[in-house]
Parts: sequence; structure tokens; C-alpha cells
Amino acid sequence: MNVEGQLMTQAPPPKTNPGLFKRNPPIAGEAEAIEAAKNGDPEAFSKLYALHKRRVYTLCLRMLGNVSEAEDMTQEAFLHLFRKLGSFRGESAFSTWLHRLTVNLVLMQLRKKGLNLVSLEETINPTEDDGPKRDFGSRDPILTGSVDRVALERAVASLPPGYRMVFVLHDVEGFEHNEIATMLDCSTGNSKSQLHKARLRLRELLRQTGNVPLPDINAEVAN
Amino acid sequence: MSLSGNIDFDTLKPEEFEQYLPEFFATGNGKVSEDPRLKAFLARNPDCAALVHDLETIAETARSLFAPVNDPSDQVWSNIQSKLREEFPQEDPAKLD
Repeated sequence: MNVEGQLMTQAPPPKTNPGLFKRNPPIAGEAEAIEAAKNGDPEAFSKLYALHKRRVYTLCLRMLGNVSEAEDMTQEAFLHLFRKLGSFRGESAFSTWLHRLTVNLVLMQLRKKGLNLVSLEETINPTEDDGPKRDFGSRDPILTGSVDRVALERAVASLPPGYRMVFVLHDVEGFEHNEIATMLDCSTGNSKSQLHKARLRLRELLRQTGNVPLPDINAEVAN
Repeated sequence: MSLSGNIDFDTLKPEEFEQYLPEFFATGNGKVSEDPRLKAFLARNPDCAALVHDLETIAETARSLFAPVNDPSDQVWSNIQSKLREEFPQEDPAKLD
């Protein structure tokens, strides 16, 4: 029996999908703007841009790590949105749909770019040397109860593209492993593994930059 | 990951735990520290407990990054308007301003 199967039968019930509907609640006036924009109303499209530009741009910036490329991709995402809006059926939250559209465009862009494609593949299928070091065998200090948001943002930006992609999609954007596997054209096991390695790498980076230390972990871990 | 054999949580070793950890995180509620099957193991392996604590802290903080914090420059919207005028000349350009 493989571990995945075993864990499926022994583990506590799966978490209820946090759901992008929950993370992307409907925005006042959005539904009307969508319908109007579908009918070619430019003002409505302008409103959709105003409502979603920050989220789309932030997503692009996190995935690409470059302001200029992120702005170009934001532009592409909204142009694509204008062309494809008619196919939005409301089966998911609009922002979820727009997120997927944006993620797919970013991935297509990365695949077009030879250099990034290589580095993405390297971290999607890393060699042993590429992965974070094993972390057992010595008593390590732990991160403080809350990691500084800015420090984490910086650490995420310095991740290799493959790690960053999976981490942003799963831990920040809330996509499930099966969804990420489809988007990245890899197995769910690979997505889980990459996420774990990304978190390990982030742990290393955060400790190097001072988000360290409670000297004694015993009291906390015993509870 | 595909490993054979049943997991014996009473005799689980840190190296095995490391192998299974991505799956532990992916199943249940994502809070490995609250998994009753692992409570005793984590209590007797503080390094593993520290690792779990750190990774959970990172994942929890990551969720707070979901809120967008960056605005694109105004040039992005200007470019979108220009492109749309080129692609859809039948639209009223004034309305896109």
C-alpha cells in the first residue's frame, strides 16, 4: 500500500476546501459590471479593472518577481479577460476565474522563456543537491511565533522559480495540489514535494535573515 | 511519493517522518502539530516538532500575503486602453478613459 493511499484512509477527514469563493467573496457591484462588460460596456470593464488590478498585479509580481514583467503580464491578463469575458459562466467566483486565467498566462510566459523554463524544470524535478538540506540531527531554534510578513515576502521572492510557483499557488493563493498539478503539468505528489521543499528553503532563508529564535522549544512543542 | 509498508506511529523514526511529512501536511487539516497520531512522536522528537512548528508558521503567514498590496502603474491601464482601441475600433474610445 502506498503512503498516499494509507494516509487517505487513516488521516483525519480532509479539510473542508477553504474555497476560493470564501477567499474571494463577491464584490459589491461586480456582478453587474461583469454582465455589462460582457455586453461591451467599456465603463464596466474599467470598473472590473479597478476592482481587480491590485490582486492580479500582486499575483503576477509574486510569480514573476519582476515589476516590469509583472506589469506587462497584468496588461496581458486584462486584455485576455476582455476577449474571454463572454465565456465566464459564474460557476466559480469571478476573481477565482481571473486568477486561473492569470496564472495560466504567467505559466505560458515562463514556458516561452527558455531560461525560466530551465530553472522551473530544475526545481520541479530537482536533483538531491538542489533541495534544501535535511534538518534533523541537531536541536534547532524555531521561528518566532509570527514570521514578519515583509521578511516572508522577501524570502518568497528569492526562491527558485519552481519552488516559488508552487508555494504562491498553494500557500498564498489557496489552490489545491491537484489543481496545481494540472496547471504545472506535474503529479500531485510532485506538487506536494515541491511545496515542502519550498517551505524548507523559506525556513532556512528566514533564519538567515533574523526571524529566528526562541531559545527553548520544549515548552511549546510539548503542548 | 510511493512507499510500501504501513506506518507504525509508535516506532516512527525522524528520517521516516521526514519522508512522510509532505503527505502529513497534505492530508488532514494541514496542521501536523494537531494530528493525534503524531502527538507522541512529536513530543519525543523535539527537532521534528520544531520543524513542524516552523513550517506551519510559514504556511499561516503565507495566507496573510493573499491580500494584494501592490498597484500597477497608471501606464498599465493606458496601455490596455490603447490595445483595446486597436483591437476593437468599433468601441467608443472615450468611454474607456
